Amino acid sequence: MIDILLVVGAAIFGIGVYGALSQQSFVMIMMGLELMLNAALLVAITFWWASTGGNPAGQLLVIVILAVMAIEAAIGFALVTAVYRSRKADITEKLKKLRN
Amino acid sequence: MTTLSILVQVAALLTGGAYVLVVTDRLMSSTGGVRSALVYPVRRLSFLLLQPATTTERPDFEAWILGPALLMALAAVGAVAIPVAGPSAGGDIHAGLVLFGAAMLIVLVAVFIFGWGPNSVFPMIGGYRMAAMVLSVGIPFSLVVLTTAIPAESLSVGMIVEAQSSLWFVVVQPLGLPIYLVTAAAIAFWGPFDLPEGADLAGGVVAEASGLRLAMWRFARAALLVTLSLMGQAVFLGGYLGPILPGWAWTIVKTLVLLVLLALAGRTMARMRVQTFVWFGWVVLLPLALVDVFVSGWLAL
Amino acid sequence: MNPGPLSYFLVSAFGVGAVVSGWLVFRTDSMLRAAYWLMVSFVAVGAMLIVLDAQFLGLILILMMSGEMTIMAIFMILFMMNPAGLNPMTMVHQHRTSIIAGVGSFVVLAFVGVVAEFPDRPVPAGDATVALGEELLGRSMLVFESAGVALLAVMIGAIALAAKQGRFGDAYDGSQEPSIDVETEDRS
Repeated sequence: MIDILLVVGAAIFGIGVYGALSQQSFVMIMMGLELMLNAALLVAITFWWASTGGNPAGQLLVIVILAVMAIEAAIGFALVTAVYRSRKADITEKLKKLRN
Repeated sequence: MTTLSILVQVAALLTGGAYVLVVTDRLMSSTGGVRSALVYPVRRLSFLLLQPATTTERPDFEAWILGPALLMALAAVGAVAIPVAGPSAGGDIHAGLVLFGAAMLIVLVAVFIFGWGPNSVFPMIGGYRMAAMVLSVGIPFSLVVLTTAIPAESLSVGMIVEAQSSLWFVVVQPLGLPIYLVTAAAIAFWGPFDLPEGADLAGGVVAEASGLRLAMWRFARAALLVTLSLMGQAVFLGGYLGPILPGWAWTIVKTLVLLVLLALAGRTMARMRVQTFVWFGWVVLLPLALVDVFVSGWLAL
Repeated sequence: MNPGPLSYFLVSAFGVGAVVSGWLVFRTDSMLRAAYWLMVSFVAVGAMLIVLDAQFLGLILILMMSGEMTIMAIFMILFMMNPAGLNPMTMVHQHRTSIIAGVGSFVVLAFVGVVAEFPDRPVPAGDATVALGEELLGRSMLVFESAGVALLAVMIGAIALAAKQGRFGDAYDGSQEPSIDVETEDRS
């Protein structure tokens, strides 16, 4: 069981890495990041379920990951909006320099 | 109780409730009299089923058909969490309240993809309106529903009903039911909050829908209101608890009270612009819901 | 406890669903579909969490993601030039490096997961949600409260970054739609 779960987690993480590195659009990059966090969440619960004897700190870790996801999404969208407003840029190639 | 009988029970409740809702709404909106209103749902349904379905240029077909199906499924999933007849009967799910909340917030997804599907302007604007509305009331909605779990010390709906044996939560948490009804009407885009289907958008998300698709959509929205009324009576009006009558009868009576209340509000209250509603959700409803949480938490200590 | 055959079946089915829908996120041209495939992936992981005795966390994940993915879809439609994907397009860079990195991280992680031996101390029977609640409001309250404070800071920061008038102005004015931003030629 734990093998299946860890392979699934690794696969989701791999797809997330591919997406975050390959996509040009800011929002698609964020989707890659979210997929990586998704894998982290699954693997955290897997270990909590199989190897910690029910230590509730494992579940707490998932709550923290959920908070991180929300923070990433909120700040990510705010930055995308701010950059678009000042630069009319929606893909990474348009941001060759970050000053001014 | 077996899975099959729970499914049959949910289907019967949702269909019957939807019928009552449509009849009440028809009584309010037409001068045809009671008899005409009583056959109106059947007449309308057969009309829609016989109507040839129109389509648009290059629609996102899967999204367009998934919208009504998803909405119907969500109404059913939300209803499964609610015990109807008594403590042992009905599915008493461990974290039933969270299941219900998750199902009700995914309604936004169903409406959004239904507005996106036809590749047309007005339905898309309807979908955007729904997103603005649900994101503004989603937090107060979840808060008032979850607050009922504080005195009951459980997230299972059956336990929450049991905790109301001495006093209903509508008395213990006076802010709960009004906020719940307002936000529930907004989540079901019903009544004064039917802006995603507004007449100013030529029907909004349903502007391009016809035939079977429209029939499914209308039924799913009515079923959604029934589910929301079911949960409202379970967590605020004591659910199946009551003297003399059996439990299921009390559930049905209380559900119908909330359902008729929502139907009346839909035809009598003034509409609000989406911008005003967003302001109302964040600046009025959210603080009131937080007051509800704090007062209930303090009382439960 | 020992997982029964039903748990095996459910975890495998939802696992395949989560991976396939995660893959489809980057394979579809429609931005709405990309956002909602990601949501399907999250819902599948949420269902796996429910099978693994963490009902509350699984449902909370599904609840959170429905709102977040709709926001994501709206942002995709706002910022992409061809959101419906009516014309095929690819918007990728450093494609080969990305594929190597993705496959490489999968192989390494999966290898570690399959080969390594982990202690076998399964969750005892009982209500995991109650244990989580006691942990959150007991021993780990500081962590929980820090997450709350961080979220509050993020809310303020995100609004200050994204709102047109920044941190100034009345809430009602902020909810009014901005004027349509059309770039016109200067005729003066």
